Amino acid sequence: MYSNNDDPAVGGGSPPSRFKASGLRSRHLAAHVLVAAWVVLALLAASAQQTLPVARWLAIHLFLLGAATTAIVVWSEHFAVAMLHAPLPDRRWNNARLAGVNTGTLGVLTGVWADLPVLTGAGCALLVTAATAHLVVLVRMGRGALGGRLAPIADYYRAAAAALIVGAVLGWLLATGNVGPQQYTGLKLAHVHVTLLGWIGLPVLGTLFMLWPTVLGVRMAERTTRLARRVLALTGGGLLTAVAGLAAGLRVPAVFGVALYAVGVAVAVQLFARTVRRRPAISAAAAWMLAAAAGWLLVGVVVDLALLAARPLAAVRDDIGSLVPVLLVGLVAQVLIGALTYLLPIVLASGPKERAALRAVLERGWMPRLATLNLGVALLALPLPSPSGTAGILLAGAAGAVFLALAVRVLVRSARGVLQDTEKAGAARRPVLWGTAAGAVLIVLAVLVANSGGNTDGPPLAAGTAGAGAGTGTTRTVSVTLFDMRIHPAWIEVTAGTALKLKVTNTDAQRHDLKVEDGPTTPMLAKGHTRTLDLGPVTKNREAWCTLPGHRAAGMTMDIVVTGSTDDAGAHEGHSMTATTDGGLDLSADFSTGWQPRDADLAPAPGGTVHKIELHAGHTQIEVAPGVRQQMWTFGGTAPGPTLHGKVGDVFEVTLVNDDTAMGHGIDFHAGSLAPDQPMRTIQPGKRLVYRFRADKAGAWLYHCSTAPMLQHMGNGMYGAVIIDPPGLAKADHEYVLVSSELYLGTPGSTAQVTKMRQNTPDAWVFNGVANQYTQRPLTVRDGERARFWVVAAGPSDGIAFHIVGTVFDTVYKEGGYLLKPHQAGGSQVLDLATGQGGFVETTFPAAGHYAFVDHDMRHAEAGAHGMVEVSG
Amino acid sequence: MDTVGWWSLVRFAHVAGAALWVGGQLALTLVILPLARHLLAPEAKDRFTAAAGRRFGMLTGALFLPAQLATGWAMAWHRGVTWASLAEPGYGRTLATKLALFAVVMLAAAGHGIAHAKGRADLARILAVVSLVGSLGVVLLATALPAT
Repeated sequence: MYSNNDDPAVGGGSPPSRFKASGLRSRHLAAHVLVAAWVVLALLAASAQQTLPVARWLAIHLFLLGAATTAIVVWSEHFAVAMLHAPLPDRRWNNARLAGVNTGTLGVLTGVWADLPVLTGAGCALLVTAATAHLVVLVRMGRGALGGRLAPIADYYRAAAAALIVGAVLGWLLATGNVGPQQYTGLKLAHVHVTLLGWIGLPVLGTLFMLWPTVLGVRMAERTTRLARRVLALTGGGLLTAVAGLAAGLRVPAVFGVALYAVGVAVAVQLFARTVRRRPAISAAAAWMLAAAAGWLLVGVVVDLALLAARPLAAVRDDIGSLVPVLLVGLVAQVLIGALTYLLPIVLASGPKERAALRAVLERGWMPRLATLNLGVALLALPLPSPSGTAGILLAGAAGAVFLALAVRVLVRSARGVLQDTEKAGAARRPVLWGTAAGAVLIVLAVLVANSGGNTDGPPLAAGTAGAGAGTGTTRTVSVTLFDMRIHPAWIEVTAGTALKLKVTNTDAQRHDLKVEDGPTTPMLAKGHTRTLDLGPVTKNREAWCTLPGHRAAGMTMDIVVTGSTDDAGAHEGHSMTATTDGGLDLSADFSTGWQPRDADLAPAPGGTVHKIELHAGHTQIEVAPGVRQQMWTFGGTAPGPTLHGKVGDVFEVTLVNDDTAMGHGIDFHAGSLAPDQPMRTIQPGKRLVYRFRADKAGAWLYHCSTAPMLQHMGNGMYGAVIIDPPGLAKADHEYVLVSSELYLGTPGSTAQVTKMRQNTPDAWVFNGVANQYTQRPLTVRDGERARFWVVAAGPSDGIAFHIVGTVFDTVYKEGGYLLKPHQAGGSQVLDLATGQGGFVETTFPAAGHYAFVDHDMRHAEAGAHGMVEVSG
Repeated sequence: MDTVGWWSLVRFAHVAGAALWVGGQLALTLVILPLARHLLAPEAKDRFTAAAGRRFGMLTGALFLPAQLATGWAMAWHRGVTWASLAEPGYGRTLATKLALFAVVMLAAAGHGIAHAKGRADLARILAVVSLVGSLGVVLLATALPAT
């Protein structure tokens, strides 16, 4: 089909000799240098996945939008000319289109990388313009052209160009955050389908109708033309239906559309399979690679169909992420390698001898390369643990890199030939193109270097705060990271009127977005993706959170606090503003209507020697001080968790169920003696764990969450008491359990809260989780009654000096032994417990009255560790 | 502080110098040289392009380059940039990259002059285009730097 192709031609007619005369060779050379440059950059980005912010996106788009798109534009025009027997399109406009595609791609990539939405938009616009021009040329080429048997294949290229236009527009919407969370899933899937199956899949399929028999060296089957039309109707129509359905968020039409596409691919593959003959192929390497690529296309489409049919779109959106590398490497990279193995020697060589030499270079070691590449794709495709996926990437990358090296060698060799030719001819080469390409590569590299590491907004901002803006007119950019189900920083303080920008980066394994109250929202960000939200001048306090179901409740929230505004006294999420002021908890305020204090009574130990308890880990809104509600992390829905009560020798079988939607939790019972490895392990959301221990020793024991950071898990409420009665314990009239702890207000896990924990500056000290609860709802006894107070110091940092005003203790049991018994002469005033210790004291109230019980560290007592025993006569 | 102060003037000189330098390259490459190629006889064209290139090179060496270096150094000093801060992510690294790209662009421009003098027209043209495209990259990085 070419003047310099002595392989069996297809499509009828003698090959046009004008390609060579028109300088096609040097143009192909330049185009493929561009392709190779994009591939090199894609490999670099792929190898820097852990260090570059948008590396995965960049690697995929450098390869698909850079390399594959350049190759498709060049080859689809080339083949359209051949198959339509059309005159060559104008060379300068041809170059302009190619330059437009590449510059547009560069703009998109740089725009997304540097987070410059305007540049991204301009790049998309240029890409759409170039793709439209490409489509127009392909349509006009068909008019008045002689046409050949394979003229219908040009329709594949036209449909593909239209798909690129749609894909670029969708990509622009997605990349610039112009899509709300509701539409995000559908449009993302539509973008993936229209680009992968449309812009890339359709030209591949169409070209194979012609290229496959050519590579095999056989005559094309008679029914190829008819089938090509039918396959295009199936695949193109199916894709249109699927993309429309996905964009509208409708699964049924999407499934139907992809099914049609799959049927189309199957029909084509069946034709290709029947074309195979026993005689050796012209290029066995190319034939095998093309066959494997077509096979992966079929596999990919079938898996895609199954996913769409079986799961909701939101789940498919995440699953299809793992399918993309398979199509990327198995289909696109392999078809590119296969096709170029055959075609590069044809377009670059000046004669049969050189062609054979170039082909020999490109086919070097093709069998091991084929095996390595496809083994890599198989490892990527199969649902195996992560090391195999990494191995797959490495294998595929190695095979690709070897071909790239061979291709570069061929390009250099050919370039030398072109140089010699042009020197002979005295013609000008293409210095502008070379210079532009080199300059563009320089810019991309420079932007990559400049953007590595952090923001460009001056000195690093203090964690947790945006620094003090100088007042109205100031602009602040704060780097916000979404990680570990948290927003860091969780608290930003800005001066009223500061124009605030949030540079949001998701470094978590799962996707998140960030919505600002009455403000903008990022699209769903995969790991490593960054988007900047422009909030404009901020004049009042605002919240921001991840909109994914459950994430806000799990603590993915952030407070934007405005200082110097009338809004300073406004409420924060989770607690009132008064709670954050220094010592500002109003402990004399009323609790909310309907609030009930935690029952301090110790319930009698249940009968039997085996106690089975199911403890659910989760989070609950709790009133932790008068009028102050706060999200707490809880065992059994309360903080502290339920008190377990038993006798020495009893067995406790605790089933821990992690009801948390995002966080892992574990549990540690101090009362048991066992190897911590298994029972104290952290279990993930939705998992269960059975923790069985025998309480061999008496005491008042602490239990708490065993998951790091324990300071936060305990500081947010995940603790409780286990009471094991010493043998022969006398009966008391009342038995109370008081678990002492510190209270840290604020969003659990937020920087502000954790800072308070680390600096040990709690907002309050509490008995049984609520500040001053027993001051307002006293414990009640009658005079002369004997009361036993079990006390456990849960911390997480402070112990306790337990004292009851107006009484002396005649019994003190601390950490497994009696310090004092009633018959002894001495008395006790304070039960001192270090963090994590427990014990009990007993006393008899001499007369009616109000007996305060406190932590005798008066800072603690005055800040909530205070209660009352009301003794009636 | 006044909106237009002394540092605004320094920044103005820096930005204006860059605009004139990049704009001059663009005007030479896209307007003057193509027209010269079309309108002038080969010999006249060669003389004209050589003279135009030489003059632009002299202007660059005598005016733009010193002005850019001086104002750039002054702004960096004003901002408190240190050698160590050039390696830090963010402002420092962007500035360092911009300086490195600027150096490459200058080398390409110098290489263009040398290649032209040696009669290697194609290499000279490649280097000229690299210099032009690269200087756009310098402008891109400059716009990414927040105001001093």
